[in-house]
Amino acid sequence: MARRRLALPAVLLFAAGALAATGCGASESGAGGGTPEAGGELTFALASDPGCVDPQQQGNNDAIYPARQLVDSLTDEDPETGDIVPWLAESWEVSEDARSFTFHIRDDATFSDGTPVDAEAVRANFDSIVELGARAALGSSYLAGYEGTTVDDTHTATVTFAEPNGQFLRATTTFSLGLLAEATTSLPPEERCTDNIVGSGPFVLDEYRPNEVVVETRREDYAWGSSLWRHEGPAYLERLTFEVIPESGVRTGALRSGQVDAIGGVAPQDEAGLDDGGFTVQSRVNPGLPFGLTANISRPAVSDQAVRRAVLLAIDRQEVVDTVLSPSFRPATSTLAHTTDTYLDLSAELTHDTAEAERLLDEAGWRPGPDGVRVKDGEPLTLTVLWAENFGPNENALQLIQQQLRAIGVDLTLRSTSIAEFTALREEGDFDYTWGNATRTDPDILRTQFSAGLVNVARLPDGSPLEEALQAQNAVADPEARAEHSAAAQRLVLEEAYSVPVFELTTVLGIADHVHDLDFEASSRIQLHDTWVS
Amino acid sequence: MSGRAVRAIAPALAGTGGARARRALAFWARRPGLVASVLLIATVLTAAVAPGLFTSQDPLTGVPADRLLAPSADHLFGTDQLGRDLFTRTVHGAAESLRATALAVGLGLVVGSAFGLVAGAFGGLVDDALMRVADVLLSIPALLLSLTVVTALGFGTVNVAIAVGVTSVASFARIMRAEVIRVRDVGYVEAAYASGVRRPTVLLRHVLPNASGPVLVFAAVEFGTVLLAVSALSFLGYGAQPPEPEWGALVSDGRDYLATAWWLTTLPGLTIAATVLAANRVARALEAEETQDREPLP
Repeated sequence: MARRRLALPAVLLFAAGALAATGCGASESGAGGGTPEAGGELTFALASDPGCVDPQQQGNNDAIYPARQLVDSLTDEDPETGDIVPWLAESWEVSEDARSFTFHIRDDATFSDGTPVDAEAVRANFDSIVELGARAALGSSYLAGYEGTTVDDTHTATVTFAEPNGQFLRATTTFSLGLLAEATTSLPPEERCTDNIVGSGPFVLDEYRPNEVVVETRREDYAWGSSLWRHEGPAYLERLTFEVIPESGVRTGALRSGQVDAIGGVAPQDEAGLDDGGFTVQSRVNPGLPFGLTANISRPAVSDQAVRRAVLLAIDRQEVVDTVLSPSFRPATSTLAHTTDTYLDLSAELTHDTAEAERLLDEAGWRPGPDGVRVKDGEPLTLTVLWAENFGPNENALQLIQQQLRAIGVDLTLRSTSIAEFTALREEGDFDYTWGNATRTDPDILRTQFSAGLVNVARLPDGSPLEEALQAQNAVADPEARAEHSAAAQRLVLEEAYSVPVFELTTVLGIADHVHDLDFEASSRIQLHDTWVS
Repeated sequence: MSGRAVRAIAPALAGTGGARARRALAFWARRPGLVASVLLIATVLTAAVAPGLFTSQDPLTGVPADRLLAPSADHLFGTDQLGRDLFTRTVHGAAESLRATALAVGLGLVVGSAFGLVAGAFGGLVDDALMRVADVLLSIPALLLSLTVVTALGFGTVNVAIAVGVTSVASFARIMRAEVIRVRDVGYVEAAYASGVRRPTVLLRHVLPNASGPVLVFAAVEFGTVLLAVSALSFLGYGAQPPEPEWGALVSDGRDYLATAWWLTTLPGLTIAATVLAANRVARALEAEETQDREPLP
């Protein structure tokens, strides 16, 4: 499995990496395994080196797993309902125009160096995230248009934006906007990667040795957990060890032999063996954009809607899931994964219909050529897809899609790159499609990816109907109005086939039977406060 | 390779008619390993040129329902994770892997020989400069150098071949230089100069042909090593892009399935190992002939 360390938009695209919870019917690990016992240790195998353990600077799953345990957020999101619930903030108000957000912070929380978590800390954090810019790619994009935070009193802070920012409240549930002490926020970004992370979370960073291990210990006086958690007070586990084990087969072996208690990034072919072997395979679909092909409409061939629609219809999603993935995965049923807020089921649009796909290409003037590849004006219908190995089964999935497209006379060329270079190459635009996903619980991920002023993976012109829908969903605070605009955007992406969703990324963990209550939070990353071992 | 082997070995079996044939038979009969190696190399070369002789299946399109089937009569090497026949992919991969190997050896041979020829013929400062460059190249571990070059050039079979070829330039240059120095002052070369032939012509007509024997043998010796290096880079993902089969990439694709489908790594891996061993055996035979053959200089 590949390493994951990235720059700004890649962080978004790759935020999903490789990991998981329930939601799609998988079992909850060891739930109901008796009465929780405090004490003990947990060793978790990561699929890649975190690279940096600062939650505000990170976007890939293997960095988030350890980082999430170090910080608390202002709010939390219920993975079942999508509701925003109290965590560090006991209550909040959002102005009607979605421009100002007032948080009332609980008065008993402290950072691990003893300094209080108060309105001043909120201001210092948000100011420093904006200052970090691209180093805090996710956080600074959530804070786009940030005007400032005012400290109304010791425990009340108001965040204001120049433009309406409907997604901001859900953004405060993320690790990216988790709060760090001044001892950390005052440091330059490089010094916050391996050390010096002072948060208010249930665990405290002990040590991070790159490419080896992250060690964290329990905070004994912790008493301000999220209102969603199963118990109050300090975490059950005394110590967490995250070991870096890049090969999926070796990770599975480490779990089987008892060297580790849980692993991330279980390879699809290893799942069945773990299930039979007395281990729990726990999975949850990542919210956000499913894995799929996104067109670069500045290129001649795919600027034609007929070609994009034909590609959308030619892909047999179920076959991809059945062949290269596992029963934990499901085919995409919309522009967004079904665990995303405001998701709209559009599975009727995502059918597999090669006859219709061929008809569309015939009509558009692409005639079958001598070697089976369609030709128009002497040009073969060869499309290049840029991809990186941020998720193990990518290569197999793309090779299968390549076969499926060849059946309708489309020649898909795979152009692989390293994760590190992906963003730069994507900006060059020398490809017809990109392959990727993006994890986020808020539908605003669509705006981040497709809006003309932001990542704009499809290279859409300004002022398109999609752009209007995307801006509209972020301009209102009312959930129903947002859902309506988000639904319109999801529909438009598929009608125009700007993006061809294929399968929903699922986080899959392998867990030993003595580990209980290892929970997924709303974005399908792990939360270890309630986890215990017997 | 096999053709050259026979040609190089034949002169050692001087004689006429029946006696010659008997001696040839005895020569091969005493070396069953060499016979097997020559046959294997011939088979691999045939596969590279005409894969259709060995298999009629499609190396790129599989039947997803038939994925990860163990080796059987229908699928000699089993099928991979997308239901493609692994034997077909290995056969078609031979072309890709051998093309890269030939290109890399060719590059080392041509560029290295040119360096060695110039260094040996001109001597002095030119020699010093070129040979110091060669020393520097030799001081860098070959795999590290290949990785650096291929990273700079980008992915692809040709780039892998160039990256591997670059690492052998220095060795070829050294051998060629030594041979040129051995030949450059002998009588017929001086005679050529004396009769007014210009230096470039002397080098190409008289020095190069008489210095090239050991260099060509070295090329044969390099073949196995280079095939291994090409496969290593392809294993690391620098070679042919999917779905094109290449030996190293086939081994790499299968390693996530070691626990469930051993044939995916084992059979292409054994193919590489067997080819490299056979190439080395043939090269050793050539080396022996070349040493025996070398006539004392006039």
